Amino acid sequence: MRICCGLTGNLELARRPDLYGSPVVVGSWEDDERVIAVSEETMPFGVAPGMPMRQAEHLCPQATFISPDPVAAAQLRELIASALYDLAPIVEVQVAGIAWLDVKGVPKPGESIREARRILRTAIGRESRLGLAPGSFSARLAAARARPGRLMRIEDVRGFLAPLSSHELPLDEEQLERLDLLGLRTLGAVAALGPRELESQLGREGRHAVLLARGDEPDELMPWRPPLFTSAHRQFEPPVEDREALLFVARALCSDLAGELGLRGAGAKHVRVRILFESGNPDERASVVRHPLSSAAELFGLIGAWIKEWQPCAPITELWIELPLLEGAGRRQLRLWAGGDGNSDEVVAALERLQERHGDEVVRRPRPAFLSSPLPTQRFA
Amino acid sequence: MQETQLDHAISAIRVRFGSQALTRAAQLPPPQPWPSCTPLDRLTGIGGLPRGRLTLLTGSGTCGKLTLALALLGSATHEFAHAVVIDTRSSFDPWALLPFDPDLSSITVVRLESDSAGEAAAALAKAGAGFILLMGEIPEPWLGPLEAGANRSGTVLVGVVDAPGRAFAHASSLSLGFSRTEWVVERGRLIGLRTIARCLKNRVAPPLGETALEIHYPQSADLFLEHPVSEAPLHVAELECASAVV
Repeated sequence: MRICCGLTGNLELARRPDLYGSPVVVGSWEDDERVIAVSEETMPFGVAPGMPMRQAEHLCPQATFISPDPVAAAQLRELIASALYDLAPIVEVQVAGIAWLDVKGVPKPGESIREARRILRTAIGRESRLGLAPGSFSARLAAARARPGRLMRIEDVRGFLAPLSSHELPLDEEQLERLDLLGLRTLGAVAALGPRELESQLGREGRHAVLLARGDEPDELMPWRPPLFTSAHRQFEPPVEDREALLFVARALCSDLAGELGLRGAGAKHVRVRILFESGNPDERASVVRHPLSSAAELFGLIGAWIKEWQPCAPITELWIELPLLEGAGRRQLRLWAGGDGNSDEVVAALERLQERHGDEVVRRPRPAFLSSPLPTQRFA
Repeated sequence: MQETQLDHAISAIRVRFGSQALTRAAQLPPPQPWPSCTPLDRLTGIGGLPRGRLTLLTGSGTCGKLTLALALLGSATHEFAHAVVIDTRSSFDPWALLPFDPDLSSITVVRLESDSAGEAAAALAKAGAGFILLMGEIPEPWLGPLEAGANRSGTVLVGVVDAPGRAFAHASSLSLGFSRTEWVVERGRLIGLRTIARCLKNRVAPPLGETALEIHYPQSADLFLEHPVSEAPLHVAELECASAVV
């Protein structure tokens, strides 16, 4: 047992929790006019994702039709993925409303699954269906058969899959129709074939289908990774000419970014500041730092110094602080107990800022080279 | 009349903002000491150099102040993760530090001209460097930020100057003056000097007077003296509190 799957319903539907329990159709009337997602309540009317919107309206006129918002759905997906990432190292979340959690190697998988259920309930606003199986395909099918808020655990995968319809396989309509024509109406029937035999009929997808039907789980999860880029910006209306005001805003932005970095346990390896002027020509300054900056004081120490010496050519309309390259900040605590200093990282950051302003040679860490040399300059590197 | 008004104002502030909102300087608790394990600890009156304050080692010519400063630096390298030398005159030689058995991994030397050195010292004190050795004066505009930064982070600041300027002397909380009494010559070879260290200014405790020190110079990098700086039982005995020179 290693994959836990949570089915939540399409994340587009989660944007309107107030419509839970009523028929809802998500689709756009403007683009391809196709249904993107439907609530469970519309399925008895024959409405399904992919059908034309006009047909869906004809079949279920009482449904609430809402326009899709891919950005909001993607943000919700990121939110769920980042929360589940705390529970297991391999997590995959799809906008279609499927979340996989690989609990292999997790010390207490039961607690992780319980917490995953709570996270999904908090994010979506209602209970999800959960399945636990050796692979992502069987876990998803198990979750689809679980009651809301319950976990279906599959021990004998092949026995579980055998009676299920072959239409559960990820094949297109034409391929499914060919399976029907071949008399392969259950996964058990598909599994009884050799992979090569079905491959000769359906191509590569046929081989893949047989492996899935046998419970061999050929698919690996596509692990979610925390985003490695973050930024903060502020627009000024009216444009700002006062350096103090710019420093004030920069400090606030640094504080916001530091909070975000703290949540991720990350530090900024690359810092970039962009200033947009009223005249339209942007100006920017960037630097790669040796040790990742994660606190507001560290970020503002660097950025504040830049702003203090910046000579703006026109009133400033926008300030961007971007951290294009992040890395884990955990290793920075290696010298946490090194001595009585206030903050070793901040001292290192202060020294780096001195080097950036005055050149690398102003800061030296003497290392013995030729101690017996009569020339003082040769004794230390 | 004015005194009454002042007392009334102080009482009003304490009633409104609490008894700790306003405290007379004489009633402030002394700063936390950093025991440097050198004879200077007894001169400060608090058992070590004051954290978050500026300590000056002054004296004209060769009087042993730099050797003592190096002894402090060597000790600091074992106590703090960062012992920084602000070298405004490019005169700091790590080789001279070796007899004090330093942990070189903790030492950082910052070589900048005087004005930029003030900025560097203030930034490092604010960041929380454990020990900063100033090998020269800091310009007056940077003394305020330096004091504030050190006070907040508890940095031990030690300055080595021949004769401090008015502002630098005013900024210090502890000022120790050194004057050489005689050279120490052994078998015709100069091996050190004897000096008297006097407490010229002490804002952290009552002044404790003076002591005599015998300072041995390092002869070579391979020759590590067991006690490069030691209190000498010489004709100038250490004065006790009762007979302190104020």
